[in-house]
Amino acid sequence: MIQKKVCMVGVFGTGKTSLVQQFVHTKFTDKYHSTVGVKIDRKVVNVAGTDVTLVLWDLAGRDSSEDIGASYLKGAHGIIYVGDGTRRDTVVQLDDLLRVATAAAGAVPSVTALNKIDLTDQWALSVEDYQALVKRGGLFRTSAKTGEGVEAMFLQLATWLVAPKAGA
Amino acid sequence: MDETSAPDLAKLRRILVGEERARLDQLEAKVEDNRLSAERLAARLPEAIVLRAAQDRQLARALAPTVEGAISESVRRKPGEFADAIFPVLGPAIRKAIAETMAELVGSINRAMQHSFSARGLSWRFESWRTGVPYAAVVIKHALVYRVEQVFLVHRETGLLLAQAHPPNLAVPDADLVSGMLTAIRDFVGDSFSAEKEVGGLRTFSVGELTVMVEQGPKALLAAVVRGQAPESYLRRLQETIEGVHGQFPSALAEFEGDTTPFEAAQPLLEDCLVTVLDTDQPVGAKVNWTPWVVGLGLVALVIAAWWTWSVLEFNRAVRALRATPGIVVVEASRGWRTHEVRGLSDPSGATPATVLRAAGVEPARVTQQWEPYVSLTPSLVVARAARVLGPTSVGKPALVLRGETLMVRGPADAPWLARVARRTGWPAGVAGVDLREATPVLPAALVRAGDSLVAGQVLFAPGSAALDDAAAAAVRTAARHARAIAAGLADDGVTVGLTLTGRTDATGTDSTNQSLSRERAERVRRALEGALRGGGAAPVLTTRGVGTREPLSESDSTARARINRSVSFGIRLSIDATPGARPR
Repeated sequence: MIQKKVCMVGVFGTGKTSLVQQFVHTKFTDKYHSTVGVKIDRKVVNVAGTDVTLVLWDLAGRDSSEDIGASYLKGAHGIIYVGDGTRRDTVVQLDDLLRVATAAAGAVPSVTALNKIDLTDQWALSVEDYQALVKRGGLFRTSAKTGEGVEAMFLQLATWLVAPKAGA
Repeated sequence: MDETSAPDLAKLRRILVGEERARLDQLEAKVEDNRLSAERLAARLPEAIVLRAAQDRQLARALAPTVEGAISESVRRKPGEFADAIFPVLGPAIRKAIAETMAELVGSINRAMQHSFSARGLSWRFESWRTGVPYAAVVIKHALVYRVEQVFLVHRETGLLLAQAHPPNLAVPDADLVSGMLTAIRDFVGDSFSAEKEVGGLRTFSVGELTVMVEQGPKALLAAVVRGQAPESYLRRLQETIEGVHGQFPSALAEFEGDTTPFEAAQPLLEDCLVTVLDTDQPVGAKVNWTPWVVGLGLVALVIAAWWTWSVLEFNRAVRALRATPGIVVVEASRGWRTHEVRGLSDPSGATPATVLRAAGVEPARVTQQWEPYVSLTPSLVVARAARVLGPTSVGKPALVLRGETLMVRGPADAPWLARVARRTGWPAGVAGVDLREATPVLPAALVRAGDSLVAGQVLFAPGSAALDDAAAAAVRTAARHARAIAAGLADDGVTVGLTLTGRTDATGTDSTNQSLSRERAERVRRALEGALRGGGAAPVLTTRGVGTREPLSESDSTARARINRSVSFGIRLSIDATPGARPR
């Protein structure tokens, strides 16, 4: 069986937990976020006929990038960065998060979820912000509410994890 | 004088003691220098000690006696101060020891309460009363019960579950999540109390009745979920197991990228950690399971017993067959473990014991045999012996039957053979004499053709005539030749050959005429035959008879029938020369 450790990273309130909630097998309640700072979920995806178990470490969102639990990122095979399209600062901070996470986990495959696309009327990103995000690669426009883009994002990451993308 | 004399005095002094003065100055400088170097040493000493200690242990060795002496002196003089000094070290160590003992005790007491009024509790009370051991001790002895319900092998860095073992009915469906969370909690505790991380992080924690024991290696850790109080020795088992895992899967652990397949082979190692300790102090897992041994030995014993029984039955059957065989007398038969032994008497005329054994399914080589030859009077063997003595006949196969002690010979047999039998005087045991009355002498093989030709040849006559024409004379000569050959062939064997000449007529004419005509024809042929045989050595005895039409020779065609019946035909009579006890027919 193939298992991969995947960390969900993003500042407070970007919807990391909501993103995975309907799609994963959850055993632990959200209160672990406030106590331990992380909650473990599981998502099984099928990549080219092989089942890959993504063990999702849903890291508690903090107000800044400084104190995301770096020791939880250790050994991660992949990372999902989550930003909130209605709050520009959450997107801007992704760069800092990327730096902190790369320092802890190394240059592992990653995807970026630009969440809450169902709220486009409250969109707070400039064209430049968005283009900067696109430049990072592996960008998925997702909605935890409607489920749009979520499955595709997990599948893409799993595919890269099984056959690592060059230069990821 | 004083002003002028002072420099002079100094000059004078220099002249007088100048050399000594210089040496005095040198010594003074040296003393000053020594004082200075002690100060320098004080400044350099710590650094020097550090440097030397890094080099080797010489300094420690040199200082050890002094330090030991100083400590013991200090303890003797001011014990209070010393106790204060080491208290920070001693306190936690003592607390830890007490805590562990208490936890154990509490667990035992819980169980004691639980079992106080159960059947088990009563039996423990009985044991206490019977042995005189205090009840509490009995309870503690029995209550030290624990069961390992889960064993997880977890990759340390990623927290991914590598392998898992649990008793059959205690599966945890989300073991991979538990494994991840366990790692997260350990990380959390490690981050919170960073000092402990250096000594291996969270090693043991309790949740209600469950205790999670963690033993970690460089790459992976082993977590055991234990219900009840596991002894300290169990941690050692976990330690050995995690060492074993690292030893067995060094590369799989080092290169782990999420594929847990290689670690399926670690399953047995984990299962060894699933220990259940019940009411005795013995781990169930380590108990030797005797059942397969007992069953196996039982089967082996059964097979041996079956083989033994079969071999006994087979041997008994073979012995019975030997006893039933004429000419074999079994005196003693004994069965050994591997070989068998038979002793007895055997008549060489009968079947050999080896043949009988083989027919009964026993390999003769496996049986130690000892046979004494003897002569059996069993009729079949007596007859067999007689038959061997008499030898084969050339024609006929007479039946030999023993009646009392007389050997009866029945049926056709060649005349010379019968004559030899009749003349025989020495008989094998069991035979007193021979009776040939039911035997029929026939020509021996060498004379059968001559006999057949003689009997087939007839002397034919014209109707109503007894005169021999040329053809009849020739037939008589032929008959004479055959008769002479037969008589000559048997002359030395004690067999008397007789020729019967039978005259016949055809159906015409009266019976009396035919009767006399047939007799006339026979007489005519006899005279001619006597003439032909005269002076030629051995000759058969000739007798004549006229049968008229009473014993006609048969032929389908009436003309041919009349013709062949106007004839004289030849019959051969063989008789064995009479000897005492042998009466031929």
